[in-house]
Amino acid sequence: MRRFAPRGRRARLLIAAAALSLAGAGIAAGAPQVIGINSAVLNNVRIRSAGAATAHTAVVRQRVALADEVQTGGRSQLQVLLLDKSVFTVGANARLTIDRYVYDPDRGTRAMGASVVKGAFRFMSGRPDARGSSAIRTPVATIGIRGTILDGVVGEEAVRIAAGEPGVGPNVRSDPATASLVVLRGPGRSAQGRVVPGVIDVTAGNRTVTIDRPMRAVYVPRPGAAPIGPFVLSPRGLLQLQALIFPSLAPRFGFAPEQAGLPAYPGETNPPRGRIFPPGGYPGESGPPARPGSYVPAIPQGTFDQQGGRQRPPSDAASAPNTMTAPPAPQSVSAPTPTPTPVPSPTPGANGKP
Amino acid sequence: MAIRSRVLSHWAAAACALGLGAPAFAQADPAAALDGLSQASAQVAPGMALARRQIGDGDLMGALATLERVLIGHADADGALMLHASLLCRLDDRDGARAELGALERPVAGRDWAEVTAACGPLPRPGRGG
Repeated sequence: MRRFAPRGRRARLLIAAAALSLAGAGIAAGAPQVIGINSAVLNNVRIRSAGAATAHTAVVRQRVALADEVQTGGRSQLQVLLLDKSVFTVGANARLTIDRYVYDPDRGTRAMGASVVKGAFRFMSGRPDARGSSAIRTPVATIGIRGTILDGVVGEEAVRIAAGEPGVGPNVRSDPATASLVVLRGPGRSAQGRVVPGVIDVTAGNRTVTIDRPMRAVYVPRPGAAPIGPFVLSPRGLLQLQALIFPSLAPRFGFAPEQAGLPAYPGETNPPRGRIFPPGGYPGESGPPARPGSYVPAIPQGTFDQQGGRQRPPSDAASAPNTMTAPPAPQSVSAPTPTPTPVPSPTPGANGKP
Repeated sequence: MAIRSRVLSHWAAAACALGLGAPAFAQADPAAALDGLSQASAQVAPGMALARRQIGDGDLMGALATLERVLIGHADADGALMLHASLLCRLDDRDGARAELGALERPVAGRDWAEVTAACGPLPRPGRGG
């Protein structure tokens, strides 16, 4: 009586086991690299995995993989929690891809690279003791990040907010598809807790502007243009930005909920659309001509109430200097332009709300 | 005895062969530790409790992220908004905090407001006309 498999059968068993093992390893090696989760989803958010033909509806606690392309609909929002506890929040009508992510908790190293081609976003660094470089690219700028909280917006809303800022003004030629506004939110030098003061380097047009104080902002109006700033973002500009990043809070900030993706100013029924910039530029203006279709936005009329963020009757908000200058750059870094990949439009009504 | 030993050795070899792939499978979900953070902030009270634990641990930015998750799902959570604003103050973003507090219209409890002013300094209290 034999109590174990014959030699040939044993060999087949071992071969099968080894094959299964290698297959498992192969599956794991070919699987997309998980870098975090969808930690909160509001309304209509879709994600297209790298190489996939179509996007799927994002749901809470679903894994996020490297090179996943996120697209949010109107009044929608996604918070992504990365493995190192860094947080990426994207607001309504945004498109984001995290295309580089390395995290080694044992060595305390982290590196992240993301592209935002449209919409508003917030990034908060995770482990304060982690070493490594992180950067966010927009179509016109690269934002180098050193342990920080930053907000940004790309596109028409950046033009709209910047136009109302005294530090930018209404006469800057802007590209509504690519203009980018970035603001440092903290931590400041007087911050408490286990944090390090935040610093960001915004590079565009071969110039770099460093921001190391909260509420300082930089605006890059079009491809090839140098950053404008830093300037102090007004409370009104901040609330506009917050309403874009957090569309569910937009009504509380005084913005019409039906326009959370393209907010009107409080109390306003016809939001300013700007005027078409004449090809070739206005007489007497320096710099290259604006491309046809780019525009200078109209400045909203009225003043801002710092306590409530509410619009008051028109008065003196329209006067603002044109500041097409940037401080001397400590270094020059080329800003690669991300290649946007179209994603099918989100399906109305999809809801992954937690 | 010898036969049993040989059987065990063959199964051990097979198990080792299977084990080659085990580390890859074990790493299939490195994000499992994040699920609890997301789940705890799906509702207001557990989210606030998590944020306060994070604050106690000195993880102010983690607490900020937790409260933002709460507010994504519960925009009317005044307590979360006030705690979020007080955290902004502690992170030296007082202007941002004041802008957020401007969104409060309902009267707020004295204890909650005391926490805000302890972090942000004196501010007009919402719901009191000033």
